Amino acid sequence: MSQDISSKNERIAEKPDDGPKLDLTSGIMLPVAVVVSLIVFFSIATESFLTVRNMTGILGQASTLLLACLGASFVILMGCIDLSVGAIVLLVGAITVKSLNLFDVGIGALLVAMFAGAGLGALNGLIYAIGRIPSFVVTLGTLSVFTGAAWEILQGRALRFTSYSFEELAIGQFIPAIPNIALFAIGIWAILALAGRYTRFGRYMYFIGGGEAVSRTAGLPVLRYKIYAFALSGLTAGLAGSLAVARLGAAGPTLGQDLLLNTLAAIVVGGTSLSGGIGGVHRTLIGVAIIALLDNGLNLMGVNQYTQMMIKGAVVVVAVLIGQDRTKSTVIK
Amino acid sequence: MPNITKRRCLARLQTFDARWVDPKMTDLALEARNISKRYGETQALKDVTLSLKNKGVTGLVGENGAGKSTLLNILSGLMAPDTGDVVFGNGISMPVGFAAAQKMGIGRVFQEQSLIGHVPVFENLLMGTDHLYARFGQFLSRRRMIAKAQDMVDQAGFSIDVRRMTRDLTFSQRQMIEIVRACLGPSMLFGVGSPIVLLDEPTASLERGDEVVFLNLLENLREEGSLLFVSHRLGEVLDLCDSVVVFKDGQRVAEVLPENVGERELHQLMVGRERDADYYHENRQKKPDSQGMDSIRFSARGLTRPGQYEDVDLRVAPGEVLGIGGLLESGKAALGQGLAGVERPASGEISFDGESWLQPVASKLINMGVGYIPAERLTEGMIAEQPLAWNITLPSGDIFSNALGIWRHAEEIDVAREMIDGLKIKAGGPHVTCDSLSGGNQQKVVLARWLARDIKVLILDNPTRGVDAGAKEEIYSMIRDLTDTGVAIVLITDELLELIGLSNRIAIMRHGQITEIIPSPAHQKPTEQLLVAAMLSSREACEREAA
Repeated sequence: MSQDISSKNERIAEKPDDGPKLDLTSGIMLPVAVVVSLIVFFSIATESFLTVRNMTGILGQASTLLLACLGASFVILMGCIDLSVGAIVLLVGAITVKSLNLFDVGIGALLVAMFAGAGLGALNGLIYAIGRIPSFVVTLGTLSVFTGAAWEILQGRALRFTSYSFEELAIGQFIPAIPNIALFAIGIWAILALAGRYTRFGRYMYFIGGGEAVSRTAGLPVLRYKIYAFALSGLTAGLAGSLAVARLGAAGPTLGQDLLLNTLAAIVVGGTSLSGGIGGVHRTLIGVAIIALLDNGLNLMGVNQYTQMMIKGAVVVVAVLIGQDRTKSTVIK
Repeated sequence: MPNITKRRCLARLQTFDARWVDPKMTDLALEARNISKRYGETQALKDVTLSLKNKGVTGLVGENGAGKSTLLNILSGLMAPDTGDVVFGNGISMPVGFAAAQKMGIGRVFQEQSLIGHVPVFENLLMGTDHLYARFGQFLSRRRMIAKAQDMVDQAGFSIDVRRMTRDLTFSQRQMIEIVRACLGPSMLFGVGSPIVLLDEPTASLERGDEVVFLNLLENLREEGSLLFVSHRLGEVLDLCDSVVVFKDGQRVAEVLPENVGERELHQLMVGRERDADYYHENRQKKPDSQGMDSIRFSARGLTRPGQYEDVDLRVAPGEVLGIGGLLESGKAALGQGLAGVERPASGEISFDGESWLQPVASKLINMGVGYIPAERLTEGMIAEQPLAWNITLPSGDIFSNALGIWRHAEEIDVAREMIDGLKIKAGGPHVTCDSLSGGNQQKVVLARWLARDIKVLILDNPTRGVDAGAKEEIYSMIRDLTDTGVAIVLITDELLELIGLSNRIAIMRHGQITEIIPSPAHQKPTEQLLVAAMLSSREACEREAA
């Protein structure tokens, strides 16, 4: 913490007439330190952690998570929540395989997935914004609807596909040792991080999250941007779904099951506040790194699934405890 | 923890005392000594002393913001004063919290209704005493509760079935429930012999029949306990009270006996301040014959939002300041939101420069050149934890982003720097967050937001609330600058001097309607007394005439 304060002071000293920059990076030292110490710890604790093979594996796993988190970060930045991300991943994964098997669309399945995802997200947004129902309730409901629909499509079994070109999208290695899915994830992360900082859309997300009543009073099209955010969340979840399927070679009923907790965990651990207006999608990368490293390292150490669940849940709560300014919130819901 | 337990024990002992000390032993029921209270930069109360006699009614009058409600909050244990203390007649200090104060015999009618709508009336009446009707710990005896509550309303002479759902009652009936609870609660529920009842604007929303019941109740009560009666209706205050205390700007300025003064003198005491023409830059006020004053910049017709304002018409010329004054519940704040399209009116239209009529919708109006500054700065006016520059460009995504939606950061910073220099905003720079600024500088940021746009009309709701005197003057000067460039201003304010000093004309709102438009030319400003009389309505006067 003291490090943080001193770095702020230095910044004031550098630019006395502009004041400290709004800190898109403040509080980022802690998560970075956690990433570094996790890497050091697992490298010492297990032999297989620091190997190219394992790193490639982590990248593949983390990429699905990162893609799924990107749009949802905007939703949380806007002060809402999207619980249906995992379900959209599953449903769009199933739709992707179906379309590959039925129409042999090849790489085009990616487009199908993006449209399907954006559509499902927009549905969330429309119900939330126009129906004026809490986003928590809307996406909890659609979580169940989408999951059910996906299982209907899959008939409860894993559905395989055979399309070399589509598979190659995820597991090919354009750069050696780095699966293509990671390039997708990092590329889209970079685009959205820039969008958050440099576009009207990004700025409005901060405005709406920081003060919805203020934004409304200032005439911002709050309703429309809320729908955009949910559609974007669905779109990146759809991408995550189809690329996950490409990576695994099949869509199984458990696809995306762990994403409900993992996406929220990664976003919050990264430093985007659940109360909205603070943080941003650029920070989600670090959150994803922490969650993916924990998953992988604990597996390698032979920690069982149940203990892992306990650890991850605790990490989320602790991250919120650290990140939250309790002096400002009076009503907790 | 031990401390809390100790305090609880003490409180219990004290209630015991309160019941057994003979009230005749002392003449005072409650005394507040040298009370001061500050909210941030606003001194709400300054060294105020007030004592309530054991039997009788004390009146408390003052303008909006004079500190009446703050004092009531302190007298009912809801708030602790910064300095000074509140002591009961028997020497016991005011406990912390309304629940504890109630046990000491304090009853209160709140200015805004504090009833729960979806429970029956009797539950509202008996709230906080549920444990008395519990059997086996948790099960409440409905029958006994209803009997008790019915007994209360019957004693008050108010005829209503306490089993009815609270939200089904009229506003006036709900107000009566509050009054009954505050007046009879202390004696009937908490067993305190001589209650102290604080009535904050109890009659503001009462219908005629209920008012008679209330006045009877008051007559009975003044024999038993002591009452503090806060009201804007000065005639009523003079009729009902044994003595009247006058507050102004957080200070007690006088205590008078009703037989010695009339309404006019009371007005004078409430508002009597010197108005400094320079402070409001009155010499810069546009004269009626100056250029543009015969045309219309902004007009509204038939604006209606049920329950808040009705069929409001108004016209503002370029460079003119149209003031809107009225009591708190007159609907003027809602009208401001309606004019800006923030809370859309149910019906009615507005027009610019005599062109076509359209429905007020915030996003559309902003594009056409309307700016709106809400009264609640921190919840509606600005996002305090975000940077100054962001708060300036908030409504101007159309200006500060290009066709591709890319934000123009460099321009944003330039404009913010210009505004910081031009408006003398005391801030570290465009990147500092607004929560570090003082109230006056925050308000300048909100104003800068509209200066960054090419506005034609600016609607201001209490633009100087919570702003220090120096920044106030600067804001007044900015308003004059805007009128010089032909911007039409609608100024809604609770501060009478500001209203008089800045306005070309003053529209008075009462019960959601504009009842009168008072001209306010630079060298013939209306008096505060005149405005207050207009705001208070001639309702009392009419009634007196009728009687």
